Amino acid sequence: MNENSNNYVNNDDNVIELLINGKITPVEAIIFFREIERHKNSVVKKANDEEQLEDIMMELDELIGLDKVKQLVKELQAFVSIQKKRQEENLLTEPQVLHMIFKGNPGTGKTTVARILGKMFKAMKILQKGHTVEVERADLVGEYIGHTAQKTREQIKRAIGGILFIDEAYSLARGGEKDFGKEAIDTLVKAMEDYKENLVVILAGYKDEMEWFLQANPGLRSRFPIRMEFNDYTIEELMQIAKKMVEKRQYQFSLDAILKFEKLLINNKNGPHYDKMGNARMVRNMIEKAIRRQAVRLVNQKKITRDDLLYIKSEDIAEVDEI
Amino acid sequence: MKKCIIIGKTNVGKTAFFINFAEYLGIKTFELEKKFPDGIEEYAKLSSRAAFAALVDEKYHKTKNIQSIVVTVPIGKGKKKIQLIDTAGLTDDIHPEIDVRKAISQTLSIIRESELILHILDASAAEKKELPSAFGMVDYQVAQFAQLKRGYVILANKIDLPDSSYGLKKIKQEFSGNLIIPISALNKTGFKEVKTFVIHNL
Repeated sequence: MNENSNNYVNNDDNVIELLINGKITPVEAIIFFREIERHKNSVVKKANDEEQLEDIMMELDELIGLDKVKQLVKELQAFVSIQKKRQEENLLTEPQVLHMIFKGNPGTGKTTVARILGKMFKAMKILQKGHTVEVERADLVGEYIGHTAQKTREQIKRAIGGILFIDEAYSLARGGEKDFGKEAIDTLVKAMEDYKENLVVILAGYKDEMEWFLQANPGLRSRFPIRMEFNDYTIEELMQIAKKMVEKRQYQFSLDAILKFEKLLINNKNGPHYDKMGNARMVRNMIEKAIRRQAVRLVNQKKITRDDLLYIKSEDIAEVDEI
Repeated sequence: MKKCIIIGKTNVGKTAFFINFAEYLGIKTFELEKKFPDGIEEYAKLSSRAAFAALVDEKYHKTKNIQSIVVTVPIGKGKKKIQLIDTAGLTDDIHPEIDVRKAISQTLSIIRESELILHILDASAAEKKELPSAFGMVDYQVAQFAQLKRGYVILANKIDLPDSSYGLKKIKQEFSGNLIIPISALNKTGFKEVKTFVIHNL
C-alpha cells in the first residue's frame, strides 16, 4: 500500500475507484473496507449512546421542580459510569445494587422518573431493554396458596431487562403474617438475587406508609439502598406544570383563567384530602376537564375563530370532583 | 429479503455451487437477474441444465457480473425467501483486464451489503499455488472482513477430486476459528449442512 492511496482512501467509492483503475489489489481493497467498517461501527455506536444519554438527561432537566431527585439521579449516573470506567481499568468496583425506594404522594412524578431511569440505564448499558413495568398489589398477590409466587414471577419475567415499578408497595405487608403479600415479597427478593444483573426493582408509595413497610420488613432496607423522596409540588410549580401541559396540547390560558386555576389549586391545598388528591395528576385532570368544557361551550357557537379554539377561559375551569 | 452472497477466487466453483445449490433448494427453472458492473440489468429464464451449460466453464473469470436468484428455504413451519447471489471471482493481484477489475469491485461492494457470506475455497488446489483458484491473501482478508458479520461460512469445494483431503486439512489449519463445510458443488455433497447453516442464520 503506498502512502498516497492511504490518505485518499476514506470512503467506499474511492476504494472502488482505485480498484477499478488497477491502483490497488483486491486484497488491499478488502483491508480498506474492513478499516472503514470498523471505524464506522465504533463511531456511530458511541455517538448514539452518548446522544441518547444526553437526551435523557435533558428530559429529566425539563421536569419541573424535583430538584433533590434530579440531583440524586445525576449522582447515580456519575457513579455508575465511573464504576464502569474503573472496571475497564481493572480497578476494584463497588457492587451495583440499583434497587430503589420512591417515597412521595401520588402525582409527584415517581412513575415519570422511573421511566426516565429505565431509559438512562439502557443507554448506559446496565439494562438490556430499559422498559418500565408498573404493577400494584393486585398484580402480584394471588387468591390461593401458591398462586402468589406464580403471579409475582410472571410480572418479574415481564420486567427482566427493565424496571419493575411496584406502586403502593406497602400494601404487600398490610395483611399481617398470614397474608399472601408476604409471599410476594419473598418471591421478589429471590428474583432480585437471580436477575441482579438485569433487573431494577423500585418500590413506591406514600412516605409514612413506606417507612412503616421498611420497619416491618427490616431485611428489605439493605436490599434497596437508594431512596428518593418526592416532595409535594408548590403552587408555583403546579402552575408551571399546568402551563406546560396546556401548551403541549396547543391550547392557551387566558389571563383570568390563570388566576382562577391558581385559586382552585390553593383552595385544594388547604382541603382535607390534599395528599390523596395527587399533585400533578390533579392538574392534568383539571386541564382535561377544562378542555372538555371549552369544547361544550364552543360547539353550539355559530362562528368559531382560531382564537376561540386556542384559548381556555376562566369559565371553562372547574374543580375536579374525583381523581 | 436477506442477501446470501457466494464469493471466492476465480475457478473455485462458485457458479457451479450457485446453480446446483439452488436446484437442491427446489428451483427448477432459473429466473436469473444479472447485474453488470456498468449498471445494465438483464433477466433470463433457463432450466438448471441449460444454466449450468451456459454459465459454468473451466476458463478463468467466466463470470464477470453478479447474477442472483430468489430461493425459498423452510423456516419453522413457514418459508422464507432469500436472494442467492453469485459473483465474479477474486484475485490476489491487480488483474490486467479492466473488465475483470470492474467485476471484482462490484463483488466487493456487494459483500458489504450481504447478511450471509458463503466463501468458497478450492480444496483440491491447496498444494498447487500456481493455480489461480488456490487460496491466497485475498481469502485470508475476506475471512477477516467477514468475521464482522454474523453469517459467515467457508465451503471447501471440490472434495470429489484427489488431493482434496490434504487441502481440507490445510484449510482447517489456516482458517481455524471459522465454520468450514466440505462440499462438492458438482456432486452436491455437503449441501444439507450448507442449507442448515443458511436456515440458522436467517
